[in-house]
Amino acid sequence: MHNDLNYPSIEARDLGVDLAGREVLKGISFSLKPGEQVAVVGPNGAGKTTLLRALMGLVPRRGDVVMHGRGPRPAAFVAQRSDLDLDFPATVFQLISCGRRSPTGRHRWRRRADRQATERALARVGLDGLQDRGLRELSGGQLQRAFLARALVQDADILLLDEPFAAVDSETVESICELLNSLASEQRTILTVSHDLPLVRTHFDRCLTMNRTLIADGHPDEVLRSDELERLIFSQ
Amino acid sequence: MIDWLTGPYAYDFMQRAMIAALIVGALAPAVGVWIVLRRMAYLGDAMSHATLGGVAVAYLLGASLVIGALAAGLVMAAIMSLLAVQPKLREDAVIGIAQVTLFAAGLMIIAKADTGAIDLSHLLLGSITTVSAEDLRVDLLLGGTCALLLAFIFGDLRTATLDPEHAKTVGVRVNLLRAALLTILAIVVVLSLQTVGLLLSVALLVVPAATARLWTRTVLQMTIVATAIGMGSTFVGLTASWHADTPPGATIALVCVGVLVASLVATLPRRATATDDHLPISKDRIGVL
Repeated sequence: MHNDLNYPSIEARDLGVDLAGREVLKGISFSLKPGEQVAVVGPNGAGKTTLLRALMGLVPRRGDVVMHGRGPRPAAFVAQRSDLDLDFPATVFQLISCGRRSPTGRHRWRRRADRQATERALARVGLDGLQDRGLRELSGGQLQRAFLARALVQDADILLLDEPFAAVDSETVESICELLNSLASEQRTILTVSHDLPLVRTHFDRCLTMNRTLIADGHPDEVLRSDELERLIFSQ
Repeated sequence: MIDWLTGPYAYDFMQRAMIAALIVGALAPAVGVWIVLRRMAYLGDAMSHATLGGVAVAYLLGASLVIGALAAGLVMAAIMSLLAVQPKLREDAVIGIAQVTLFAAGLMIIAKADTGAIDLSHLLLGSITTVSAEDLRVDLLLGGTCALLLAFIFGDLRTATLDPEHAKTVGVRVNLLRAALLTILAIVVVLSLQTVGLLLSVALLVVPAATARLWTRTVLQMTIVATAIGMGSTFVGLTASWHADTPPGATIALVCVGVLVASLVATLPRRATATDDHLPISKDRIGVL
């Protein structure tokens, strides 16, 4: 068990973000328990990605964010991949091992423990045997699993995933769901942005709907009812 | 053939020239790998122009031209790092602003102090046969320092170049790393002063690295091959320039380009058969909202 179940893994209080002089997020408060799998749903431009980036400290934010985990970096982030240069000269193994940087900046040279952790992550996402391939030699689904493996090698207790089910085949969606279940059973907390409402209804026990601010927080069957969705879309 | 290769090096000044050329021939491509991967080739060219102001000031003050050029390169790196925090300014615009500022300052200084004493041709085209033992010591010291620093930040550079946002989440100080790379680049451009000159320094920075990219699959392989191409090209270029009585810098640059053209031809079948096997987007998973 990684987290103390008595404490929330993530607690956001009155979180807000201004980008280019515009208020993108305001007044968002929630807390997630260890082992919870929570979906974030909202229309395009609702600030879902910005929410994850704000939690990770990648954009200037207002309010408080508290994350509990074992290490100095409790959370790992899997971003959307549209901006990655697939022609970059790196193997799948090297991509994944990028997640093994020591928090103190020491041990830059790959150690045996880092190699073993990378091999375990490769196996866990079903990419063992593909470690020497280039990035462009992977399918979209394999690439998405490689990014998940890069988050896994960080051994973080909290995983923030931005559209991990987008642009992948249904077989990969199923394998990612199985992996997330397995991680949740280890008391890791998973916050996933997704547009896939049927999947959110079947896979997640809790859903946050947002449109620049938090609209609803509850079971997907409740917060994704048609009247709630209408409220979500027309909330801004 | 052996005589053709070794003949020029019977002279001390040519031996010094060869050592200086090999230092730059090894270091510039190793830095150039990152310049190519980060799509900053324009920066190498801009950096070489920007050093003009520093060289002019150093000449007028009677100081070392190398120190003057190095100071200008560092000022360029500092200007770029400062402007980079403004997200509305794209990187190519930032490079252009920093380059034009320092290049214009250099031209102004030279014009105002025009005594006819500053011979720009040596700076612009290089004068490798005039390398002194003292120059070599400076080259070795600066080159060795850059090589060590580059090796130390290699892993973080790879992480930050591949995916800057992910690099930040694992603790890489991306902006500091970029400033370090710019500083190393400035030093390499300065070292190129005597070898190929300011105008052609970009040839050793970019061409061997671009050539190596055609043959390799990892950054480490790319660095090793680029360095080998750079050193080989400087040796062949310097030797050929002796026999053909051509400018060494231009000859070295053309040898680099020759290796690139040969590599493009040799790797053409492999690149033609390369396929993009990405799976198409599964339409049944596209969201409702």
